[in-house]
Amino acid sequence: MNIDDTLRIVIVGHVDHGKSTLIGRLFHDTSSLPEERYREIEATCRAQGRAFEFAYLMDALEEEREHNITIDTAQTFFKTSLRPYIIIDAPGHKEFLKNMITGAAAADAAILLVDGAEGVREQTRRHAYMLSLLGLRQVVVAVNKLDLVGFRRDRFEEVEEEIRGFLLSVGLVPAHVVPISAREGDNIATPSERTAWYSGPTLLGALDSFFPARDISGLPLRFPVQDIYVGDGKRVYAGRVESGCLRAGGRAVFSPSGKKAVVRSVEKWKQPALPEAHAGECVGVTFTEELFVERGEVLSEAGEASPSAREISASLFWLGNEPLRLSARYVLKLATAEVEAVLSAITERIDSSTLEVVERHANRVGNLEVANVTFTLQHPIAADTFKENPRLGRFVVVVGEFVAGGGIVREVRSDRLGGGTRVVRLHARMMTEPDGNFIDLSREAGPVEFEISPGFVARLGGGEKVAIRLCTADQLEKIARLAFGYGLGMTFRRGPEGNRVVLSREGPVSQAPAEEGFPVI
Amino acid sequence: MDHLDALENESIYIFREAHRKFKDLAMLWSIGKDSTTLLWLARKAFFGKVPFPLVHIDTSFKHPTMIEYRDRVAKEWAVDLVVSRNEEALRAGMEPGKGRFVCCNALKTQGLQQVLDRHGFKGVFLGIRRDEEGSRAKERIFSPRDKNFEWNYKDQPPELWDQFNTSFGPDTHVRIHPLLSWTELDIWGYIRREGIPVCPLYLSRDGKRFRSLGCVPCNFPIASDASTVDEIIEELKVTKTPERAGRAQDHEAAYMMQKLRSLGYM
Repeated sequence: MNIDDTLRIVIVGHVDHGKSTLIGRLFHDTSSLPEERYREIEATCRAQGRAFEFAYLMDALEEEREHNITIDTAQTFFKTSLRPYIIIDAPGHKEFLKNMITGAAAADAAILLVDGAEGVREQTRRHAYMLSLLGLRQVVVAVNKLDLVGFRRDRFEEVEEEIRGFLLSVGLVPAHVVPISAREGDNIATPSERTAWYSGPTLLGALDSFFPARDISGLPLRFPVQDIYVGDGKRVYAGRVESGCLRAGGRAVFSPSGKKAVVRSVEKWKQPALPEAHAGECVGVTFTEELFVERGEVLSEAGEASPSAREISASLFWLGNEPLRLSARYVLKLATAEVEAVLSAITERIDSSTLEVVERHANRVGNLEVANVTFTLQHPIAADTFKENPRLGRFVVVVGEFVAGGGIVREVRSDRLGGGTRVVRLHARMMTEPDGNFIDLSREAGPVEFEISPGFVARLGGGEKVAIRLCTADQLEKIARLAFGYGLGMTFRRGPEGNRVVLSREGPVSQAPAEEGFPVI
Repeated sequence: MDHLDALENESIYIFREAHRKFKDLAMLWSIGKDSTTLLWLARKAFFGKVPFPLVHIDTSFKHPTMIEYRDRVAKEWAVDLVVSRNEEALRAGMEPGKGRFVCCNALKTQGLQQVLDRHGFKGVFLGIRRDEEGSRAKERIFSPRDKNFEWNYKDQPPELWDQFNTSFGPDTHVRIHPLLSWTELDIWGYIRREGIPVCPLYLSRDGKRFRSLGCVPCNFPIASDASTVDEIIEELKVTKTPERAGRAQDHEAAYMMQKLRSLGYM
């Protein structure tokens, strides 16, 4: 994507802080408003005995005109001298958060509007938090309605400080904080004389500094299989390159099955032999050998495949009317994969407006709340963390027929039964020797996952100890996590026999793990 | 990848997703530039073979040039074309003189409903765009209609990260909108780039051309000298007249389009 390609922006903020008015103003100041539309709005306003309202342009639906609120996400278009813009208006009412999320999920950048008189409010904070959860990083803050406070610098700086502080707490740094009046046109397209104390860009200038963010370059190849078309004696695997570059002749591996393949051809209609396809391109792929993989598998280059996830920890926003419940079954959709999953832990339940942790180890997540959760998947799927690859690190939760929530993957735990990972049952490997219990892992050089039984925990609770000889530092970390989860003591020693840890337990035995995610066999 | 490539890929992804998820699909082909672009994209998505029928809701008031063009393109591209009319309403004398709202609702909306019922189509591709008019701007890409054909625009499910709502109750059909993000100018830019044939009514003759195609009694040409696709693109870059200015049903009364669409109009 080039800088002059269309940029999709979403405008968010608290209800009545002036979103629709700002959009009307952007249209007017960029001469993007068809004259007939202008006259239509004028006529409607006159008929209702009101002053001219820019907001009517976006609020085209009848109910919205009557109640003066934006119900759904609407998209429309304007242009600066740099490039065209698609503008997504997102509703500010709390009930319409799912529409705001629909809008913001499709955007490259966001304008967060704050009323200069009212300051930061509930939906200002909630929307900012959602932007951060959706992975949007290009944000400009517009402090609006400064005409109502006489364009006072001290008031602007008060609001600026407040919003910068909140954004920082959700991991966002705004590109600019611009003092504006949408109704009167200050600092939208041209610098305002009434804010002579402000030296930053106008709002349009700030927008022009953003990049179309849909292009993912520099990341490893991810090509989720979308469908398989059989015909003309061949199987064509259709899909979109989500990141990286797919090359004809390349060696590739599928996750989670681990099947290997060589790409024979990369095809489009009337282009049966493309040398390669890049992120964002929908293509068909054939392989040199007969191969049977299904929708949902993800093609990567050998050596940098997506992990095969059996368990996913995520930050999740919940939009369902019914609460999300611990131990209930849901369907997750991640890229083209679809999997049934059990909600195995709700580590923290968070108020999406105040960011307060409402509860730890909760049983349910309510409408409009955010939570840190863990899903245990019924079968493995390919998944990355959002940090490593946003395209394969986000998913939605489906309840019944509809999407009821979404999340970004914080941590992926591998399939315990595949992907070359060995499962080691510590209780089964324990030997009782004259000088105590002993487990030898010194030959387990490959990736391992550990399991322990309740009986094993009980024996340690009874005063026994176990020494474990380690092979890798990874094992040390995993055992430390296990010890932490079950409330065991652990000491690490480096001696003539190599690296060892000793696990022990003092005090009453806890049968249930203190932390989620540790299997008990 | 430029802007048109990005739009093309987005549309192809939507086509393939719908084809994977729904068995009984059809595509509405109004003969206009948008749905013809849609047809072109369907051919791209499925490597030249469109795996579902095309439906033309013929109100009987269409311009003969449109019908001629329709039959020519359908033959050339070997598509499975279903032409359907609300014969009952036509026999009863339905025409725009009875009122434009009534006529559009009977011949188009009910005409569509009949053909969906008759063929059991569960999903229909439509070439609507968000920049056309206000109520279309609020659409989702996968947009359900209930058994009474109604659109509950006040409570639409969220749609994010290309995860579409693709499972619906037995009495629901879904409208699928692969062109929602395109603008009128994008469509013409793509038509030029790809060399897609368009209905000759779009090109200026004697100082007039149609900017949007509809029924003869309710659709009026605009004054224009743009007689080639290049000239249309130049004209659109500077025009301040909305696209559907010549479509009478949009201007009959406030909110008419919204009411028509909530009852199932395209």
